[in-house]
Amino acid sequence: MQVFDMFRLAFKALKDRKLRSLLTILGIMIGSAMILALIASSSGLSAGVQAQIGKMGANTLTVSAGRSFGPPGGGGGGQSTFQLSQDDVNTIKSFQGVSDVIPYYSRGVTIALGGTSTPATLTGVDLTELFKLYKGLSLYDGALPDPYDPSAAAVGYGIAFPSEANGTQLASVNGMISVTLENSKLTFLVRGILSQFGSAMFSNIDDMIFISPQAAQILLKTSYFSGLYVITDTPDDVTVVQQHIESYYGTNVRVMSPSSMLSSVQSITSQMTLYLASIGGVSLFVAAVGIVNTMFVSVMERTREIGILKALGYRRKEIMGMFLSEAALTGVMGGILGTLFGYALAYMMGGAFSFSFMGGGGPGSRGGSSTTSSPVFTPELIVFSLLFPIGVAVLAGLYPAWRAARMNAVVALKYE
Amino acid sequence: METGSAPAVQTIEVTKVYRSGHVDYPALRGVSLKIGKGELVSIMGPSGSGKSTLLNIIGALDPPTSGRVVIDGIDLRKLNEDKLALLRNLRVGFIYQTFNLIQRLTAIENVEMPLIARGVPEKTRKSRSLKMLSAVGLERHANKRPTELSGGEQQRVAIARALVTQPALVLGDELTGNVDSKTTRELISHIVRINKALGTTFVLVTHNPDVSNMTHRVITLKDGLIEKEQYLKRIDSYTGL
Repeated sequence: MQVFDMFRLAFKALKDRKLRSLLTILGIMIGSAMILALIASSSGLSAGVQAQIGKMGANTLTVSAGRSFGPPGGGGGGQSTFQLSQDDVNTIKSFQGVSDVIPYYSRGVTIALGGTSTPATLTGVDLTELFKLYKGLSLYDGALPDPYDPSAAAVGYGIAFPSEANGTQLASVNGMISVTLENSKLTFLVRGILSQFGSAMFSNIDDMIFISPQAAQILLKTSYFSGLYVITDTPDDVTVVQQHIESYYGTNVRVMSPSSMLSSVQSITSQMTLYLASIGGVSLFVAAVGIVNTMFVSVMERTREIGILKALGYRRKEIMGMFLSEAALTGVMGGILGTLFGYALAYMMGGAFSFSFMGGGGPGSRGGSSTTSSPVFTPELIVFSLLFPIGVAVLAGLYPAWRAARMNAVVALKYE
Repeated sequence: METGSAPAVQTIEVTKVYRSGHVDYPALRGVSLKIGKGELVSIMGPSGSGKSTLLNIIGALDPPTSGRVVIDGIDLRKLNEDKLALLRNLRVGFIYQTFNLIQRLTAIENVEMPLIARGVPEKTRKSRSLKMLSAVGLERHANKRPTELSGGEQQRVAIARALVTQPALVLGDELTGNVDSKTTRELISHIVRINKALGTTFVLVTHNPDVSNMTHRVITLKDGLIEKEQYLKRIDSYTGL
């Protein structure tokens, strides 16, 4: 018997029981789609988070006052009375392996632009230093604000061109922007607009208003920093410097490095992927049980047909092959539909798969930051999504097919 | 029966015992017979006499409890399950009272089934199946499903299917049991014609004297044994003898 004929007959048999076949295929489809969508979404999230972390150099640490996962005034944890001052900048600068320390001030503000109020972050930092830290960040238009002019600011791309405004420029160079900081209104002259950059270390650079540290000190009426960027001589020094800072300050500071963040994020996302894939796996298992059930019913209903096939000279392996082909076709159709549906589902789930990281690192991360990402479909994942349901279906069909092949011809022919 | 070569069918002291729980039910109690190539034989007898059991054993569908069955010189005891299936496909055709057609397939697809098992290419098997359907006068109904055909037409499809592989032996189990007398006569005439034209050996289990009367020999079974054999006609037009 030729394989093509085997599949042709199997297809006819499936077509003969349309509704039942469709329901079985639906079961497979849902399982397959779930696995694909969940893996692609969590892989996408993982990739998105990694890309954010990767935007900061591998030799950079962020230090903020506060206990682990709880920056001061942030939304994520315990309070601390400790505050970072210029003395701490000098102290950390003196540590072996540290090449530079860039302090920053950061406050959440509300910005009135185009008739609407949107939250933003007022960040006081030396922008020339920040450009070194974030590769690819540069001036899009205008110039850097004068460090000694407290009313001069540079704005992130997202403030000048808010996505809600559909590309309309709401802030321009030499224009004014109004900011509400803790119930007091401030007005800044926009001196420059930064290039589009996106998020890095869970801080959205595009949604920031940058002023000089000197201006920030005056406006915020504080000499204490919100955090420090610590740049080490080489990426290899990061761990030693991190340990050094942690042992020196104890729980008074929270130190984060891209690599430690990456490993914790990877650990979380891989566990999440496993967990979510397991959910998909369970649904596929349920679908497999459905196939076993459908196949058994089919074998029982077609007992007489099996007897006929035996009388006509079909061998056991051919009868088994015919039933397995039916299971395989169910898997093929479920796999194809599941992959298509899973593809769409992954995009639909995109919003639900945001990753919240409370007080990641850097300005603007104080209240916690979240990232959403596009699902990642690797060729391996697509192939897996297509082949796995077929494998499951064939495995599920194995026993019923074997039972069919072993049936006694005479008994089968007498079956009513 | 004069045969120049091995008989089409030979059974030697064939017994068949069915067991239900601890009780044995003997269906055949030592049946020995020879059927020559091209012979048209009917097996008669009351219900429970072992006719269908003997037919299934001759058709290699059911093994005997003891004794030997030799088809065309091949001892069935020496064949495994797969080889028995191959023998059924190549040398034996079955026709049943209930037609045993696959309902979801069309007439021509049903006729094709034994050829599919043999791996015959689609074009060849289609033309052979159509030819066989023409031989039983059903070429116009080739694409109809069994449910769209009358009982007699369905049985003719079954005959076409049994003959499409040009088997040396065709076994019929009450093949006129589900059709009226007019259709019975038509079916008989088809079988006689094929028997004469192709020299196919037919063994037909029947209760119907109209069927047995047109065969060369009537074997009557009773209680699992051959009660009598009656030669009705000379075989003068078959090949292979």
